[in-house]
Amino acid sequence: MRIVLGVTALLVLTAAADRLAAQEPRLEGRLAGPSREAVEALLDSARVIGLPVEPLVDRALEGSSKGASEGRIVAAVERLFGELRDASAALGQQSAPEEITAGASALRAGAAATDLEGLRQARPGESVTVEAAVLADLVAVGVPVDRAVAAVLALSDVADDADYIAFRSNVERDVALGASPVAALGVRLDAMAAEALTGGRPSADTGPRKP
Amino acid sequence: MADDRWLDRVTDVLQEPVRLDPSFDERVMAAIGEGLPDAVTPLRPRYRPLLVSPLGGFALAAAVLTGILVGRSWLAPVIEPAPTSVTAVQAVPPSAVQFVIVVPGAESVSLVGDFNDWNRTATPMRRAPGDGVWSVSIPLTEGRYRYAFLVDGGRWVTDPSAPRALDDDFGPPNSVVTVGAS
Repeated sequence: MRIVLGVTALLVLTAAADRLAAQEPRLEGRLAGPSREAVEALLDSARVIGLPVEPLVDRALEGSSKGASEGRIVAAVERLFGELRDASAALGQQSAPEEITAGASALRAGAAATDLEGLRQARPGESVTVEAAVLADLVAVGVPVDRAVAAVLALSDVADDADYIAFRSNVERDVALGASPVAALGVRLDAMAAEALTGGRPSADTGPRKP
Repeated sequence: MADDRWLDRVTDVLQEPVRLDPSFDERVMAAIGEGLPDAVTPLRPRYRPLLVSPLGGFALAAAVLTGILVGRSWLAPVIEPAPTSVTAVQAVPPSAVQFVIVVPGAESVSLVGDFNDWNRTATPMRRAPGDGVWSVSIPLTEGRYRYAFLVDGGRWVTDPSAPRALDDDFGPPNSVVTVGAS
């Protein structure tokens, strides 16, 4: 009987140790008890179903750093959890964490899950991180979602990551100078197509660069 | 000469083997055995029942658990993490990304974002020659990162030369930097 009690105590302590080991140490001191438990539960769920945990932790830390209320932080993490889950389902369970994170941003921007599926099908076996991120960025500068999706898909055969980033920067610059987002998108898309036809490609800068 | 013969006879006698009684060895071993203490002679294993009180069991469990945890901490650096992706781009060296902002009159500016756990003090920016130009370069791997500048420890400022993040959940907006694999 006494040995049974001892073994039981060992099992209980081991389970408690596993629970402690799974907790995210960066949340220590940044979130209070109940809120931290709620976020930890979401992190556990993310680990179980294979979602990236890092963006969830980042979102909680951002809220803490900006002095947001605990309830708002938990709500933001819950919302992001849902977007990551949807992005993972659309892009495939084997997608890289950064792909799923960028896909979640595209969904937040208004893209549909079918749009992410289209990105994956357009570049099988390749990362779609930049494509999904550029899609979200184009929407952020005012390009309608359907136009942004069409542009990103149209470039998938001729552009690499550096081309996508340059394309997005050019559209933003044109919009900042006063062009309408749709017009800027069309002009830059035509320019990219012309470059592809003539064999010219923008050179990738390997040194320090601006976002 | 006579002395030599006498010496040879004595030598022959001394070199003859000594003949012992066949029971001599047995008697010697018996005598040795009688002199040993009782504690040495039995070599049978002894078994005792293990009696553990509840408190003792708890202490034993705690000791074993401590051993497990210490063992884990020692083993942790040795264990290789399993790959998390099959279709993902292989690990690429980080790219140096430069962040620059002009904030005339600022006393301090920090770069805060996904890449430094939104730590307000982890990445202070350097004041470049000029009026209020602040900059810093950090290595980033492929991905999309959200960030903002923190001016004088309390004012959040977006990067005017970078896209705005649409997923702002906490009021002060963020900017976005996207790092590609190529």
